[in-house]
Formats: sequence, structure tokens, C-alpha cells
Amino acid sequence: MRTTTLLKRNFIYYWRTNLAVILGVATAVAVLAGALLVGDSVRASLRDLFLLRLGNTSQVVSAAGFFREQLADDLQTHPQFATAFGAACPLIVLNAIVTHDESRRRGSGVQVYGVDERFWKFHGREGADQTPHNRELLLSPSLAQELGSKDGDAILVRVEKPSAIPLESLHGRKEDVGRTLRFSARGALPASALGEFSIRPQQGAVRAVFVPLRRLQRDLEQEGKANTILISEKGPGDAAKPELVERLLKDAFTLEDVGVKLRVLEAHHCLSLETEGAVVNDALAESARRAAAGLGAQTSSFLTYLANSIRAGGHEIPYSLVTAVDDNYSEGLSGEDPIMLNEWAARDLGAKPGDAVSLDYYLWQEPGRLLTQTAQFRLSSIAGLSGAAADRDLAPEYPGITGSESLADWDPPFPMDLGRIRPRDEEYWHQYRTTPKAFIRLAKGQELWGSRFGKLTSIRIFPGSGDLRSLHESYRQSLRPTLDPVRMGLSVYSAKAQGLAASRGATDFGEYFVYFSFFIVASALLLTGLFFKLGVEQRLREIGILRAIGFPAAKIRSLFLNEGAALAIAGSIVGLLGALAYGGLMMLGLRTWWVDAVGTTLLTLHISPLSLALGAAGGILAALACIVWTLRRLAPASPRSLLSGDWNVQRRGDGATGRGGEEETPRVFLYLPVAPSPRRPVSASHAAVAFSLLGLLLLLGSALHWVGQVAGFFGAGTLLLVALLCYQSAWLQGSKRKIIQGSGWWPVSRLGFRNATYRPGRSVLCIALIASATFIIVAVDAFRRDSQDVVLDKKSGSGGFSLLAESLLPLTQDLNTAEGRESLNLGLPDDAALAGVTFTRFRLRPGDDASCLNLYQPRNPKILAPGDDLIKSGRFAFQDSLARTPEEQANPWLLLQGEAAGGAAPVIADANSMTYVLHLKLGDEFVINQSSDHPIRLRLVGALKDSLFQGELLLSEKNFLRLFPDQEGYRFFLIDVPPEKAARVSAVLEERLSDFGFDVMPTNERLASFHRVENTYLSTFQTLGGLGLVLGTLGLATVLLRNVLERRRELALLRAVGYDSSDFVLMVVAENAWLLACGLLTGTACALLAIAPAFFSRGGHLPTGSLGVLLLIVVVTGLAASLVATVAALRSPLLPALRAE
Amino acid sequence: MLEVTDLTKEYPTPRGPLPILSGISLSLSRGDAVSIMGPSGSGKSTLLYILGALEPPTSGTVTLDGRDPFGLTERELAAFRNKQIGFIFQDHSLLPQCSVLENVLTPTLVAEADGGYAERARSLLDQVGLSERIDHRPAELSGGEKQRVALARALIRQPLLLLCDEPTGNLDRKAAEVVASLLLELHRRQETILIVVTHSAELAARFPTRFELIEQQLRQA
Repeated sequence: MRTTTLLKRNFIYYWRTNLAVILGVATAVAVLAGALLVGDSVRASLRDLFLLRLGNTSQVVSAAGFFREQLADDLQTHPQFATAFGAACPLIVLNAIVTHDESRRRGSGVQVYGVDERFWKFHGREGADQTPHNRELLLSPSLAQELGSKDGDAILVRVEKPSAIPLESLHGRKEDVGRTLRFSARGALPASALGEFSIRPQQGAVRAVFVPLRRLQRDLEQEGKANTILISEKGPGDAAKPELVERLLKDAFTLEDVGVKLRVLEAHHCLSLETEGAVVNDALAESARRAAAGLGAQTSSFLTYLANSIRAGGHEIPYSLVTAVDDNYSEGLSGEDPIMLNEWAARDLGAKPGDAVSLDYYLWQEPGRLLTQTAQFRLSSIAGLSGAAADRDLAPEYPGITGSESLADWDPPFPMDLGRIRPRDEEYWHQYRTTPKAFIRLAKGQELWGSRFGKLTSIRIFPGSGDLRSLHESYRQSLRPTLDPVRMGLSVYSAKAQGLAASRGATDFGEYFVYFSFFIVASALLLTGLFFKLGVEQRLREIGILRAIGFPAAKIRSLFLNEGAALAIAGSIVGLLGALAYGGLMMLGLRTWWVDAVGTTLLTLHISPLSLALGAAGGILAALACIVWTLRRLAPASPRSLLSGDWNVQRRGDGATGRGGEEETPRVFLYLPVAPSPRRPVSASHAAVAFSLLGLLLLLGSALHWVGQVAGFFGAGTLLLVALLCYQSAWLQGSKRKIIQGSGWWPVSRLGFRNATYRPGRSVLCIALIASATFIIVAVDAFRRDSQDVVLDKKSGSGGFSLLAESLLPLTQDLNTAEGRESLNLGLPDDAALAGVTFTRFRLRPGDDASCLNLYQPRNPKILAPGDDLIKSGRFAFQDSLARTPEEQANPWLLLQGEAAGGAAPVIADANSMTYVLHLKLGDEFVINQSSDHPIRLRLVGALKDSLFQGELLLSEKNFLRLFPDQEGYRFFLIDVPPEKAARVSAVLEERLSDFGFDVMPTNERLASFHRVENTYLSTFQTLGGLGLVLGTLGLATVLLRNVLERRRELALLRAVGYDSSDFVLMVVAENAWLLACGLLTGTACALLAIAPAFFSRGGHLPTGSLGVLLLIVVVTGLAASLVATVAALRSPLLPALRAE
Repeated sequence: MLEVTDLTKEYPTPRGPLPILSGISLSLSRGDAVSIMGPSGSGKSTLLYILGALEPPTSGTVTLDGRDPFGLTERELAAFRNKQIGFIFQDHSLLPQCSVLENVLTPTLVAEADGGYAERARSLLDQVGLSERIDHRPAELSGGEKQRVALARALIRQPLLLLCDEPTGNLDRKAAEVVASLLLELHRRQETILIVVTHSAELAARFPTRFELIEQQLRQA
């Protein structure tokens, strides 16, 4: 016979305990591998979902404004395009609110795609052209369901009206920012047909509509234009592609694409550089001058503005253009604050040089007000209406103004009193149109009328030599390379790479489920170790015989190790099947019971061989570790004690061995010797007292506010748990007991309780395991958040605000002023609801949700910029910040106004988002557009505590305007309103501002949505922890089984003296119940103390139902398991244990 | 009265039944004390266990006080053993977590009624010379002392039949002498039927009636 034969025989003969070991290992592997599969599955599901929705898109070129549709073809025909890319497709992408005309059902946050047949061809669906035509519109499936739309239904799509003119300038059309387009639904486009097309990753339902590109261009007055280009990759590997696209873009773009106009002014023998937005910013001006200088051309700069009045000597001229000129044109401007009037204006005013002249003009102030300002000048000269003074091309084009036939036809975006217009003003307009009536110095004009958008309206370029036409061409060629299209509004990003990176997820579900499943794994390994130990101890005599016949201890260990390894491998194979089941069950859970944690039902199980292998390896290693630990204790035992099969009892040197008085002192296992040492109970008692005092001290400290309440009570609960365990340990090891006497079920039960003192260490271990697990499962409830009621505390997570709102279209008006409300139709007399309501406005840059609601890792978070009012208010509570000065410590919001450290702008984030979603800490930087040439660096300087800003980063308004100049107006609002008025105010705002897509929500609802995610994680932990606890009670039953087997001789004696099976069952169950009860009560009591502050702060509400059920299941399972173990143990005859031979 | 009639015991094995006892008959009354000797594996303990209703015979009958224990239900049998039979084994089988007094009281916990056994237990412990040790645990006793506790435990219910399987097997000569003397003394006082299985010729010699179990048969020595 060989060793392998012995192994095989052992394997089969001891199949019961071996099976138990295999099942233990299988459970551990199933749970470990299953948990890792959950992580893989979530990642893979997110990835698959993203790629399905992205189609063939790899890179994206987009702009806040519009560029030529032709740019896509120009890119595609570039010689280097085909080396890395497949195709380019232009389209229009806009955010919209969509309304079902008949039912008035509304969908907000809808993506509108203006597409044509190129879109479907781009995504490889040439044969399935779904292009809508004329007024047709296709909807994504979820939007169609949400609106309840059918074929032919009228759908209204409201989008922001494109305008190159900055909204927050005098000529920006602030009340008319949107455009409603009417379409006819052609049905829902299934997801498989790109009906859920989305460039950005999102796990929730996609709300999208597809409309004809041409129709959308016409409706938006952007014929031949697009704002997005999709680029497909030629092959795998996206890493360097954004930079390549930027290079191609720099070669392919034209001035028109970045809103730059170059006019040839034959009459003035010059070129005029202007923009679609009617202002030339400093960067463009600098490039323009440099390009001109390179060609030897001269430049002159101009700033033309509208004056409401030019007044002098009691006379006034309404609505006149005034141009600020540079030194090249300032010949007639001398003296202090000079102004030059043309002869028409001078005559009309009756002014002569030296007279005081004042200009009244509108100025748009950033917070959202139109002011009338006045500037004083001294008339320095009068210019004849000829030459440079008769230049009508000095004014930029203002829609609604410069193209009008008469002044009365003007349609400006600011108030105008038509009654002031005189017939001679109309005559001037008819004859001279936009010819300025007055001229001032450029510096003065820039001082009065310069804005963040620019300080010029045009730059003229004069040829040094050569003709104008050739200058035009050469200047265009010279200027273009100096411009960076990305800095001028075109952005390039790698949508696919970013989305795939985001698909790795903000939350590692694999890691979370490993933590959640910790107790199950621990219990399974405990069972594995226990059963293996049980198996070994059942074979002590066999081991003794092997030792007696000459097997060295190492060989025996190796035998058992090989056996254990075989069992572990067998268990892991079974476990892998279990892993699929466990993983599948967890994914089902995430789609159903725990759907609040993920916000989607689209997650499915994906099988990853690597995770299975890791889980199997982890399970095998852990099981082997348990087995090695068990075998470690085997070595010290002598063959004789092994042969006796009872090697735990310490024998005394009184000849009781009958072998010449040899004293045998086999070393014992990890449990304590049976004879209580006089020292041990004392030390356990001392420890108990010490921990109790520490716990009381912590309670006192918490009551006196030396320590935070939560920390104090939690710490006290933990210390009390340890103290109680020490007390129980001391009690178990003590010897003073009340005598067990009498007859009936109670004394037998007491005997069962007393049996727990047989192995005090083992009993304490069982109690400690159950108590610890119970404590954790109950105490985590302290972290459950409850935000049912609106909290008006300004230091709460809602900042004391009752409502928050977001609008699709930007609002520039100040809703806190009468003028602002009136301009938005909110000032009607019956709107007393808004009396006393104040609005705190934020600028908003759309981006990824950085809260726990988004499963995808945010790469480009949404950014909010509060105004000074919020920063000064000091509202909301901070968990931590980089505040240094006393002022900053009192109000960390002030950190936003600090200087950018090393070029990184300071931002504030919510602490939860910072830690668990962005995985950053204070002082760290978050970089947007990292792979581009224009990254934006943001540095975290403050962490808000459980705030409603969990989805955003907060930036100062100044830095926001600097970094994101294209984002105009305000789109996020926090509203102060008494809770009892909140519903009414919400209804009024949503109705009156529906054209802006104004969406109002109670702040506690937003907080509740975050808390739901956290609470779901806690519930998952409690459920799985509870399962682990249940499994742990099986371990307890196994311990009892061991106890029964170890005490077979005693139990045999009891049977001999008349105990029947029911007495044994009662004894063992009583012992188990005692251990269970001690563990559960200890853990629960200490946990309740730990969560007392949270309990009372929530008004005394605990999820007693779910917790109670959980603990009841633990009790029932534990008792049932002990019953089964007892019956199984007692099934085999006890009496042979009594035999002397 | 203990009546054993034509008792046979066989153990089933894959190779056919293994005979252990064959046609054993015995009749003992109160006050009788017998020893049974025999070589190892002769079936002495098996016979003891059958007499103590711990194992059923293959054939034959055993009656104690006119009752056939093997005709009883499990519960009735347990109650029968609890009331009628006391056991002492080579290994005392005391409960280590209970005190000396509690160990003696162990059989009374499943008695049908509380019959004031605490007093009797103290009395028995006094008789075996352990009245000073009632609060001690078995681990604090010598082998001989433990066996004396086992003796007191076996007599707490005033059984009719007292069965001992190598009661002095684990003791040295002196302790064995003490235990043997106590055993016989208490048997005499309680007027039990005492049956002792032993290897010890010295112990066996102290019994008025001696049997040998050889080749499955019980013969009087």
C-alpha cells in the first residue's frame, strides 16, 4: 500500500466530515469569487451599456456655438485622417425639454440630435436608415414611454436659441433664450438601433429625440452649420487620438468655424476683423495684430457702442452709435475726456467745441441688471460727415438693430422708448444708417464699455503695400495658424476612452461585496477549520497508531495536509459553481431589492475567469491556512495520549495512570485548561472592570461634549462589548456556582448551561463571534441617514434652503429684484406666493454627476459657481477644509476666493463624493481634459458634510467665468421659502418659467436620493452580514457537536444512568441557546448604546422590523442547527465509549 | 431478583455473525455479590452491558425485579435504568464542569420527582469519605477519590442492581483496596445485587461468588 492509497481510503472512509470541509470551502470560494464576479459584472455591464449607446463614436469635436457642417468633411479629407480614423459625421446636439402636446407630459434633460443619413452610415447602419424627414421625430424608448407618445403625436421640443452674441452683454437676448420646435412623433427607436445613443456614459434611462438635421438647422437659423462632429476610429488604441484630432482640426478649421469674420471694406481700403459675437476678445485682438504685423500691415482698433442719449446744452439725440477710436483716428480728440461729434450731431445739439457733452448708455451688470450710466465729455472738435467720420462699417452687426429699415423697426433686447425718436432721427438712419454720431478715445471707451467678453468690436487691417484682395488672402492665411480653435470654443475629447475609463466605475462593487460578504466568508472558513479539526480529532487514535508504528510527526502532518489540500481543491471546484449562483443572486439583488444603490436594472452577470480563479485561489489559501493552523497543534501530543483519544485532560502525578506514576502532561489546544487557574479569572475580571470604566468615561465625555456624541457612544458601545465579554469569560472560568439539583427540564437545562464552562475559551470565542457580528450589523444602522423632514438649519446639508431648482436655459435676470421677476413674468399681483422668497443663484457648467447616484466614474464633473452672497453667508457645514486664517476657519467658503495654487483653481466638494466617488482628499487636484493640450486643474480646498452638492464641484464665480467663459447665465438656484409655502412656490415657478425648463425639487428629496444609496449599501451589508451570522451559528452547532463527541464517555454515562435522547437534546440545545443568547444580547445591547444618539436624533425610529427578523432568523437557525447536530451526534452509539477495552 | 435465561449475543460482521455470548443463564437476588473474570475479549463487558440494559441480547431474556427492560420503550428504559441500575466504569466518567456533589446528584436530575436527594448525596459522600470535598471539581481529586464519587453516584437512586466494569482497573493497589472495600460495604448496606467484571484476581477473590467467562459460556469458578 502507498501513501496515496491511504489518502484515497481516508477520503472515502471519513466522507461525512470531508464533505463538511468541502462544503465549507465551497461556501467560502463561492462567496469570494461571487463577490468578485459582482464587481466584474457591474463594470462589464456599464461598459457594454456605454458602448451600445456610443455606437462607432471614438472622438468628439464639439462647440458651445456652431461651426460649418463642412468642417467634418474637411477633417475627413485631411491626408492624415485615414491613418487613424474611419469617418467623421456632423450633427447638432442640444439639451432640451420635450413636451407631449396632447397630454402636456414633459421630459427634461432630453438630448436632441439633429441627424441625417450620414449618422446611420457612420454607425454602420446604412441598410437600416432611420433618418427622420420633414417634421418627423424619433424618440428613445424610455422617453416614448414616459411621454406616452404614439406615432403621429405632436411633440414640442424647446431648446436654447443659439446666439453668438454673449447673453450677458447689452445685446444678449435674455428673455428670448429659447426656441420651441414642433415635430411629429414617428415612434420609438429601439436601443439596438441606436435609440439610446449617448456620447456621455449614464446608467439610467436615456431620454433622446432624433430630428432631421436640415429642419433643425433651418429652425435655429443655422443653415449649413453643426455643433458636434463624431469621429470613428480605424483600429483599437485611443490613447494618442485626441491630440491628433486637435492637430487635424488646426489644419482644417476656418475663421468662420470660430466665429471670426474678415470683411473687405473697399470703400475704406482695409479689412475689418469682427466676430459673430460682435466683440473681439483680447486673445483674438493680439493674434490679429501679430498676424498683421507679420505682413507689414497696419491695424486700428475700434469699440462701437449704443448711447441712449447724447446730450448737450439742454438738447439730446436719442439712440446713437458712438465709436471709441485708437490713436490712429484720434486726431480731433484732444484735451481731457474729449468727444468729437459729427456735424449732424453738433448741429442738432447746437454744440460747439468746448461745450460739455454727456452720453447716457445702458450697461449690463453681471448679477443681472441693466443700469443706465452717464459719462461726461468735453466737445473737442466737430467732424464732417465724410471720410473716416462717415464710416457706417464701424458698427458690428446686431440682429434686430443694424439690419432694420428704420429706428422704429428696431427690436433690441433692452428697453427702448420709441416716443423719443424724431423724424430727423429717422432721416439720419435712412441716410447714414450705422454711421457713428460721436467718437471718443479708445481707452475711455474700453473703460466705460469693456466687458469680460472683449473690449473691441472690430480691428481694421490696412495693407502696407499691395492690393486689398491679396492682403485679404494672405492675412487669412497668416491669421489662421495663430488661432487655436480649441481656445476659441471648439473642444476635442476622446468620448470612447473617457467613457471606458468611467466604466470602471466610481465604486468598486467587487470590493464592496467582498466587505459585505466578509461574515459569510469568515463563517465558512470557520466551519471549514472546525470540521477539519473535528475530523482530525476523531482520528486521534489513528494518528497515535501511526506515530506508534513509526510515522514521524512531519509525515503525518503532510498526510493530513495533502488530504486537506485535496478537500480544499474539491471544495473550490464546487465553489466555482456556487460562485456563479452567488454572483447571479447578488446581481439579481442589485436589479431588484437593492436597485436604489445602482439606479438601473440593466446590470447582468458577466463571468470573468480571472475573478473565478482569484476567488478559488483565495478560498483554497484561506482553507489551507485553517488546516495548517489545525495541524500545528497536533505535534506536541504524545502517541500515548493520542492513542487514548482523550489528550486534553491534564493528569495529576498520583499514580492514576497506573503506569508507575509517570506524569503525563500533554499540551493542550488553544482552549484553556479545564482546571481554572487562580490567576486567570482575576485578570479577566480586572479587564472587564477596566473596559467598563473606560466605557463610562467615554459616555461621560460625550455627555459633557468633550467628545463627539456619535464617536462617544460608539466607542462606549465597543468598550462595553469588550467588557461584557471579559465578564462572561471570568464567569465561565470561575468556580462558584449554585448547585444544580432538583429534577425536570430546568435542572437538565441548567446542566446544559453549565456545560458551557467545560471549555470556557471555546465558549467565549463563540459568544464573542456572535456578539461582534451582531454588534456590527446592528450598529451600522447608526450610519443610516434619514432626511424625511426639511431642515431649516443653515448648517445642515440643505443649508437651510427648502427648494432647489435647475433650468435648462440660462437665466440672466436677478429673481430677487422686482425688475428681474417682472421681466420673467413673475411679478403679477396674484403671485403673493413669491413674497419673501429669495433665490441664491449659481452658474452651472454641465458635466458628469459626481455623486453616488452615478455608477460611472466622473471624468468631467458638473461644476457650480455660487455668487458672493452664498460665500459670505457661511451656510452648510464643512467636514474639513484647508482653512488657515481665523476667517477661513469660521467660513471655509472664503477659500474659493483664494489665489489658485500653482495654477489650480480652488474648488469645494462634498466629503462623500470626494472620498468615495472621486477618490481624492483635500489638497488633491482634479484635472479636466487631462489628455488635451488645455487641461483644467482644480484643487480641492474644502469638504462639505452630507450636503446636497454631492453631484458637483463648487468653484468661485470669478474662476468660473475665467475658465468657462462660454457658460453664461445662471441655471441652478437654491430657494429660501418657508416649508409650508414650498409646494405653492414650486408650482408657480415651474409654470411661469416652464419656457426655461425650470425644474424645482425640495432639498430634502435630493438629500434623500443620496441617502437612499447609502442606506441601501447599509441594508446590503446588514443582509449579507446577517447571512454570515446565520452561517456562523452553524459553526456554533459544529462546536457543540465537537463538545458532544469529546464528552462521549460522560454522555454515555448519563445515558447509562437514565438520561434519554430528549434529555441530551435539551442539554445541548440549552447550552447552544445560552451561548446564542449571550452573544446576541451582548452584541445587540452594546450596539443599541452605540447608536443611541442616532436613534434619538431620528425621533426614536429604528428599522426594528428588519433587524428583529434578522436576529430571529439567527436564533432559529442556530437552535435548529444545534438540534440537528445533537441528533446526528447522538445517532451513533454512545455506549462503546464506556468500554474499558 | 435478576433472572438471565439463555442469553446469547452475536455481532454482525460482513463475514457472518460473531458469537460473543452463548446460552448464558444466571439468577441473583438482593444482597448477592458476584465477580466475573475472563480473558480479554471474552465478552465480560458485553455481558455487563446487557445486564444493565445498555445493549440488547441477540436472544434470551433478562428480567430485573420481574421486568424485561428490553420490552420497554426508550423512555421507559431510561427511567428503568435511572431507578434500578447503578453503573461504575473503569474510567469514572465524572462531569468535569460539575462539583463532586453535583456529580453525585446527576442521575437525580432526570428522576420523576425531587426526592430530597441532596441530603442522600451528602450522606453517601460522607460514607465514601469525601464529605470535605463536596465543592471540589473532579480535576482536583485523585483517581481513587474520583472512583469513590462514581460509587456514590451509582448508589444515589438506591438501585437494585449495581454493575461495575473494572472499577479498580485504573487505580493503584492502595486506592483499589479502598474502593473495593467501600464497594462491598455499600453493597452490603444497600442490599443491591452487585456484579463486578474484573481482571484483578485479588478483587475477584473478595466476592463470595465468582464466575469465569470462557468461550462464550459463563461458568462458576
